[in-house]
Amino acid sequence: MARIVPLENCSMAKKVRIRVFAILMAFTLSGFLLLFLGHNPFEVYASMLDGGLGSSYRVKETLIRTIPFALTALGIGLSFRMKFWNIGGEGQIMMGACSATFIGLNFQQLPSFILLPLMAIAGMIGGGLWALIPAFLKVRYRTNETILTLMLNYVALKWITYLQYVLWRDHEAFGYPKIPNLVKNAQLPKIFGLHIGVLLVPILVIGIYLFITYTKKGYEIRVIGENEATARYAGMPTSKIILGTLFVSGGICGVVGMIQVAGVNMTLSIDVSNGVGYTAIIIAWLAQLNAIAILVVSFLFAVMVEGGSYIQTVFQIPQAAASLLQGLILFFVLGSEFFIKYRVIRDRKTRIVTEGEV
Amino acid sequence: MKKVLCLFAILLVLSPLFAGGAQEAEKEDEFKVGFVFTGPIGDNGWTQQHNAGRLAIENELGVATLYKESVPNTQESAKVMRDMIAQGAKMIFATSFGYMDYMLEVAAENPDVAFFHCGGYKNSENAVNYLGKMYQARYLSGIVAGLKTETNKLGYIAAFEIPEVVRGINAFTLGALSVNPEATVEVTWTHNWNDPPNEKEASFALIDNGCDVIAQHQTAPANLQAAEARGVWGVGYHADMNDSAPEACLTSPYWNWDPFYVAVTQEVMDGTWDANNYWGGMEDDVIRLAELGKNAPAEAAAIVEEVAASLVDGSFEVFAGPLYDNQGNMILADGESMDDFAKLGMGFLVEGVIGNIEN
Amino acid sequence: MNNEFVIRMEGITKEFGSLKANNNVNLNIRKGEVHAILGENGAGKSTLMNILSGIYTPDHGSIKVNEEEVAFHSPQDSIGAGIGMIYQHFKLISAMKAWQNIIAGPSGSLMLDKKSCKRKINEICEETGLSLNLDAYVSDMGVGQKQTLEMLKVLYRGAEILILDEPTTVLTPQETDRLFSIIRKMRDSGKTAIIITHKLYEVMEISDRVTIMRKGEVITTLNTKETTQKEIAEIMVGKSMIMEFPRLKIPRGDVVMKVKDLRLEDLVSMRKLNGVSFELHHGEILGVAGVSGSGQKQLCQALTGLQKIDSGSVSVDGDEIAGLTAYDIFNKGVAQLNFVPEDRLGMGLIASMSLVDNVMLRDYQNGDSIFIDSKRAYKRTEELVEALDVMHPGIDKPISVLSGGNLQKILIGREIMSEPNILIASYPVRGLDLGVTHKVVELLNEQKQRGAGVLLIAEDLDLMLEVCDRIMVMYCGKISGIVDPETITKNDLGVLMTSIDEECPNG
Repeated sequence: MARIVPLENCSMAKKVRIRVFAILMAFTLSGFLLLFLGHNPFEVYASMLDGGLGSSYRVKETLIRTIPFALTALGIGLSFRMKFWNIGGEGQIMMGACSATFIGLNFQQLPSFILLPLMAIAGMIGGGLWALIPAFLKVRYRTNETILTLMLNYVALKWITYLQYVLWRDHEAFGYPKIPNLVKNAQLPKIFGLHIGVLLVPILVIGIYLFITYTKKGYEIRVIGENEATARYAGMPTSKIILGTLFVSGGICGVVGMIQVAGVNMTLSIDVSNGVGYTAIIIAWLAQLNAIAILVVSFLFAVMVEGGSYIQTVFQIPQAAASLLQGLILFFVLGSEFFIKYRVIRDRKTRIVTEGEV
Repeated sequence: MKKVLCLFAILLVLSPLFAGGAQEAEKEDEFKVGFVFTGPIGDNGWTQQHNAGRLAIENELGVATLYKESVPNTQESAKVMRDMIAQGAKMIFATSFGYMDYMLEVAAENPDVAFFHCGGYKNSENAVNYLGKMYQARYLSGIVAGLKTETNKLGYIAAFEIPEVVRGINAFTLGALSVNPEATVEVTWTHNWNDPPNEKEASFALIDNGCDVIAQHQTAPANLQAAEARGVWGVGYHADMNDSAPEACLTSPYWNWDPFYVAVTQEVMDGTWDANNYWGGMEDDVIRLAELGKNAPAEAAAIVEEVAASLVDGSFEVFAGPLYDNQGNMILADGESMDDFAKLGMGFLVEGVIGNIEN
Repeated sequence: MNNEFVIRMEGITKEFGSLKANNNVNLNIRKGEVHAILGENGAGKSTLMNILSGIYTPDHGSIKVNEEEVAFHSPQDSIGAGIGMIYQHFKLISAMKAWQNIIAGPSGSLMLDKKSCKRKINEICEETGLSLNLDAYVSDMGVGQKQTLEMLKVLYRGAEILILDEPTTVLTPQETDRLFSIIRKMRDSGKTAIIITHKLYEVMEISDRVTIMRKGEVITTLNTKETTQKEIAEIMVGKSMIMEFPRLKIPRGDVVMKVKDLRLEDLVSMRKLNGVSFELHHGEILGVAGVSGSGQKQLCQALTGLQKIDSGSVSVDGDEIAGLTAYDIFNKGVAQLNFVPEDRLGMGLIASMSLVDNVMLRDYQNGDSIFIDSKRAYKRTEELVEALDVMHPGIDKPISVLSGGNLQKILIGREIMSEPNILIASYPVRGLDLGVTHKVVELLNEQKQRGAGVLLIAEDLDLMLEVCDRIMVMYCGKISGIVDPETITKNDLGVLMTSIDEECPNG
């Protein structure tokens, strides 16, 4: 019979070996899948890279996709620090996008340099308030934040649907379910061919790193995340800190919503978030909440998603197969963490698995 | 570790066998047609019918095509189009309403590529819109339902209050009323294109209200399955849905994009394309009504055939005066007809429909 | 007793990072003996026993059970070889009955035969002298009963060798006596017992042989009869150390804290404070004795604002602090009151954070900047580590790698840094060895000398009798007496701790 026992200390070399092995395994298995579909796996892999990084246009697209990944992961990462499982990035993005769009549509006569900051603030407030709901219910009534944040995503989605199909429907669009496009004033200017929201990424990466590591508030968040009893013992106002952090966490997601509306799609639609809030959870987890690692992982994720999308058009690989490919890679990478923390013992009495063996 | 390396080696050895598949795609100067789909090609509905048209282009013209499934209605659709153009696509079919603005953006960058957007309203020099007069077939399905109903109550499960859906409800109602002046059509809005459990529940509710024929404007045949379970009848949509519920399915209005796709591709290849919008109907065979099911009323076939013939030859128009909405307002006076512009923006429900449009 | 070895551990080495917890340790256990493992905290006793019970795997070395080499990868392996460990913290399911707890866990068959299970349990009870109501719920049991249940559990799974980790810390003197008589009876029936302890008189009283460990190594194994308490103590601490804890004789000052009729009901643990009143003076150590669960924890939490009180008053130098939250008490600086909680890693310190991060927990707010003054934090940590002689692998390393004694030095050190008027220390010497206990007492005395009022909650009556100026005994959420340690005996204290006439709802 096989049993699982914790592995106390895993050497760096072994960690690297396990991870390389996992990635190799993922590519081997999906390679056979591709062979089965009639493609040369190595050509597909090469073209995946090509699709993500092959030309300046594609690099640009990959970067544009990195922005919401990284920002959202940073945002929800803040709440994860406190062991507040905020699964609601998706909804917070949508509500941020919604309030930013409200400003963008109703105050379009304002000059850009006033309108855009207003929209960003509105986005922050929208996402922040949306995150405050589960935070308040948690500190006040001890509700489960995982379920609540998840459910609020659906509420947000239905709200945007209502806006798109009814309340904000573009009356000049022949009754088609579409919210009017933002005017030029309300669109983010470009810098190096990317929208200006890109500047927020390094600012937030460094800012959050400094915030968590060096500020008093960051210290409080870390303490609460490790042990709430200790935080109260130390005289920290835990409820206030949880509420404040969740507002910032949701607020960052809300700004992502604003950026997607004003910098990428130029309008609000039900696809504004499109799963970013969920992907960001995986990114934050893989990066172990380290702000700089989040940036790297987000970029790799964007390459994988863009590449995965590209091979569909180039090789006509069905979407399901491309998703399976991405899923396999993720499965092995995430799964390998298990073997860094545990090992499996096969036999009851005699067999001892030697350290190096994988 | 060794075993995996071994597997990897096998992969390396096998891979050149399949090198051919990729090289085909490498020929970037070849004329290609790109399709941007909103759902998966196996959705048994909207995307499946467009994909059938794509296959028709491949089979009948021998032209290579590219496609991508489940593209969101965001900036991402623009990226997919650009990727396709980089692969050599000279024509792009964007088959969801939400792609319109992004398509225009890409169209402006690529003046030598022809863009076709399904169901929108904005054009440019090399980008047009196309759609089919589904309401014609809806009208015919209304005739079948009107003849079939015993309670004189028809039900309609509809996704959203947009003109395409409203037009369908109205045409269906007018069709039913043409053979059964007592008929009413009760509408339930689901606010979701594809949510079968919810659609099923909504169907049951309509059946409990006395409706005995349930029509739909959704993606899945949930209404037919509900009708089959309760021993009443229903009307499919998108494709011939008879197989989903052989007892309940009376007929299905469906899309047949093949003739339009093949013809317009040929035009673009020949250089004769005039960049006009397209709104074809049964006269072009773009819209069809499926063969009537085994429980369809016996007299229906003859009537449907006759009306269909008059729709094709243009002697009959579905939306013609006198026409009243269900608030009692006159929309068209006797002898008036409706222009395409008004049809495309239709925002009222005709007399006989129980339900209303928000906003 | 015979000379057959049931366990032979040879050349056991276990490293945690750069820390050698066990270094080439040899240990032989004879069949049917009571073997004490004695050593300071951080000496490697717990690591060694955790290796024997399958929680850790050694880096080097071999373990032989009945002369047969074994490799344990989990506690199941170890229990399979007949070794059962009874931890300091019980692992019982309170919503289940006693017998259900005993049979829970990995068993061979799917179906349960309740009758034959109970018969087997009863046989074990008869054989070993353990007695327990098998149909009682764990939630209704006292500490002693829970310990009995834990022992039954491992015996039921076939343990021939029992390891008891500091078994007497939670018991009254009377309960300790009972436990020892059970252990003797089990030894007579052929079982082997290993007792981890740091209490010398227990070693003398119960053990046949004693193994003394220091800094990860076994120093020697002695026959208990052939040695003295003083000899063992000297070997254990590595230098000759005075055994007594001197009481610092200074005149006490004015009242610093006045507690009047404090009442609360803790709905979670179902414990109460039923009107507690006392006064704490400047320059004294007031001991709080009592069986664990008599309301000591609630008292600490009420005084520090961590738990809401129902009624009563607490005034510190005339300022009322009852009803304030911990945040208010701490931040408004009303009361210069610091607290050393009993649960070191559960409340006082954060296991995964570095020494520096832990030391600054109380004063990270220092300064107006939004940034932490990390220079200051490092400096203070270095000072503390230096002053209290804390053994550590680096002040940037997670504090969890430190031994219990070093953890406690940091915790107390941090709390006295701000020179509080009142220091509440809850079980500050629990589980600590002589060396650190001395250090802790020294620190408490320093506070007293400085003029602070010290409230010392502890379980070691010997120590309290020596150190405290007064001892307040708690029972059932009430004060059953405040006594003078100079005149009272340990036995009389034991009586105050248990024998109040009225029924105790706390159980």
